Amino acid sequence: MKPVALWIAAAVLSAAADNSFLIRGAAVYPVSSPAIENASLLVLDGRVAAVGPKIAAPKGVRVIDGKGLRVYPGMIDSATEVGMSEIGAVGVTNDVRELGDFKPQLRAGIAVNPSSEHIPVIRANGITAAMAVPDGGVIAGQASLMRLDGWTWEEMAVKLDAALHLNFPAIAARRNTPFSEAKREYNRDLKQLDEYLEQARRYQTARKAAGPGFRTNLQFEAMLPLLEGKVPLMVTAVREREIKAAVEWAEKQKLRLVLSEVRKPGAMLAELKAKNIPVILGPVQDLPLDHDDPYDAAFTLPAELYKAGVRFAFGSFGNQFSRNLPYQAATAVAFGLPYEEGLKSVTLYPAEIWGVSAEMGSIEKAKWADLMVTDGDPLEVKTQVRRLFIKGREVDLESKHTRLYKKYLARP
Amino acid sequence: MKYRVLALACSALVFLPGGIVAEVPSVIAIRGARIVTVSGPVIPRGTVILRDGLIEAVGDAQPPPEAWVIDGEGLTVYPGLLDALSTLGLPDMPRLNGTGRPNAARPRSAPAPARGPEDRPLNTSYLRAAGELSLTDRRLEAARNAGFTGAVTFPTEGVFAGLGAVIDLAGKRPGEMVVQSPAGLYLTMYNGGFGTGYPSSLMGVIAYIRQIYLDAGQYKAARDIYAAHPNGLKRPGYDKWLEGVLEAPRVLLPANDPKEFERMLRLGEELNLQVLLYGLAEGFRAPEILRKHNARVLVNLRWPEKPRGADPEAEETLRVLETRDLAPSTPAALVKAGVKFAFYAGALEKPADLAPAVRRAMIAGLSHDDAVRAMTLNVAELYGVADRLGSVEKGKIANLVVTRGDLFRDKTEVKYVFVDGMKYEPETPAPAAEVTR
Repeated sequence: MKPVALWIAAAVLSAAADNSFLIRGAAVYPVSSPAIENASLLVLDGRVAAVGPKIAAPKGVRVIDGKGLRVYPGMIDSATEVGMSEIGAVGVTNDVRELGDFKPQLRAGIAVNPSSEHIPVIRANGITAAMAVPDGGVIAGQASLMRLDGWTWEEMAVKLDAALHLNFPAIAARRNTPFSEAKREYNRDLKQLDEYLEQARRYQTARKAAGPGFRTNLQFEAMLPLLEGKVPLMVTAVREREIKAAVEWAEKQKLRLVLSEVRKPGAMLAELKAKNIPVILGPVQDLPLDHDDPYDAAFTLPAELYKAGVRFAFGSFGNQFSRNLPYQAATAVAFGLPYEEGLKSVTLYPAEIWGVSAEMGSIEKAKWADLMVTDGDPLEVKTQVRRLFIKGREVDLESKHTRLYKKYLARP
Repeated sequence: MKYRVLALACSALVFLPGGIVAEVPSVIAIRGARIVTVSGPVIPRGTVILRDGLIEAVGDAQPPPEAWVIDGEGLTVYPGLLDALSTLGLPDMPRLNGTGRPNAARPRSAPAPARGPEDRPLNTSYLRAAGELSLTDRRLEAARNAGFTGAVTFPTEGVFAGLGAVIDLAGKRPGEMVVQSPAGLYLTMYNGGFGTGYPSSLMGVIAYIRQIYLDAGQYKAARDIYAAHPNGLKRPGYDKWLEGVLEAPRVLLPANDPKEFERMLRLGEELNLQVLLYGLAEGFRAPEILRKHNARVLVNLRWPEKPRGADPEAEETLRVLETRDLAPSTPAALVKAGVKFAFYAGALEKPADLAPAVRRAMIAGLSHDDAVRAMTLNVAELYGVADRLGSVEKGKIANLVVTRGDLFRDKTEVKYVFVDGMKYEPETPAPAAEVTR
């Protein structure tokens, strides 16, 4: 038997499983390639098996009528506290920050609560994966890419060490603190960070030498993927000065960088393009940062980045408001970003930035079937997500919101 | 024996009424000087006679034979300058920055976290500047040397900081300095910020001010009823935090921009207070608001400047830059709109900064006459002491400044300062701008 035939046979055998199905007669938007009207999409064992005009359903595979519906890859939110923070104001429900300055060994994904009430809410808007980003200290920990479905964090985890989150020292301008003092503090913080990296490098060398006195250090062990270039450093840098400092520092340290919460890159735009440094943009519907900025400063920033050729994806930097991710892209599109780019920056681009584009981010053969089925353009507020699939498994769209909706609708 | 006599003589001197030695001469005449009366037309050449600390005559009077005559040839006599808001004579009070914003007057000892208005936090309305004056304040002499003869001086800590007094800047005993007390109640919008106890925000401060006035009204009513029929009535307690509030003839409220003008004026109208706004850096933006409310205002002569130690790369807003540039045009805008105002120098670093600060307002359109008026008669009128201070008129307190050259000009010398008819001379007659160097 040929391998392909074997695979199909195996698939047919497990066709009764709930992660295989065929959607027929829908418009399929793979994102990585042009849309196909009136198409079929076959999913077998949770992965995309075929996309085309007419595909026959293998025996026993459930068929879903896609008439009038559209199929898109599920969206990816590139910065959230989802699952780590339930109610911001209630301390015990927050697990975003850990004590200490240097904590590269912390994996945010482990802290994600699969039963968070926020997860069904944001999922219902078509978001199938999110970066859980830890905070606090200097090296806050590992940011983890999580699928928004699973009984345990292990089932949810796509990549626990998708990035290492660094709060890069900033010259904190405070009232009543002169600039010179803030600068001194900044230099001290930077030196401390450099020393930490130096220690990590020494550990790396010692580990290679594996001398008799070598002892494992879990903190430095967690720094190795970063030093080896396998994992990028996610650095919050808002203004030009901070961005410049972070970029120069990362270059000196030979580290891969992903910048987040960029707001005023100024002259650093060209630099980001030249060095191919991707950016995670914060809430697009934000107010302008400074008093004299144009009202639409945050709305037009994605288009500016696009024109400069800088790669970017969107992050919601919150928990419940992650559900607004598609509207971040939508606002950017309304203010000059080409539509296709808007859609990609919540699907394919985050997958590329976090190094998982072989597995997700678009509808392509052999990728996981993380799909949203909608009744219209997902960047439109009126559009409803009708079905959602994560790894080919259909996910219930009920959430606290819909429960409350029904409850109060039925009120006598 | 000889020593004993000497000792007796000395003690006799000590027990003499403080003034006698210094009060010679008690009659002074300045003859042939130009007199800027402020209340009336300028007298190109005339005589001013001072007797027993009061102005006896102005104009073409003949100096009496007992008078010490000062040749006023080439000199100009002005009413002594009045600082409309200061901490002069209160050396321990935090200096003004005039904004009334948080950090403007942080109480030196942090107050215990208060639960609500009933704890009367940040309220020292019972403090009276008149009772806290100190003659050892070195700033008194520096201010005199710059041409000041009087000031309105206030406690400045907390929200209800305390009762101010109109004072003269010299005297043998602190009490002699007082012209009028209380002159008003100084309020700030100070709050320690989140987590520091009530009130911890601007909204909280305003709610607190409202509550204090409501409480004060209730307290006064109860007190009056009890005073009329003490027999058979339960007596109301004594609330020292409200006594000061009730006693104040007027309140000083901070306001720098149009939003704050509206806010503070409405607060004053709501609580039925006589209000003096202080600060006014952005008065040039909306003099019509002040006009509409018939506001009376005190303009800070410390024009906004870039804070020292600021981040050199920090972007400053257009509004901030504009305010820094145009704040000195506020006085001219107020004159044009017909808003009554006075200057205060209490936030200046040193009295020598006075003349350059006034000059900036003059460059921005303020006439010299209006500038002088804003530091003399207007101050007296705003504080209700124009019957005693503020102009060169018969019967008023003999507070004068005598200069060579126009007041506030670059090369002008302050020759003499008279406070209560006592003559003071800056040690080395120097240009007014550099008197205290």
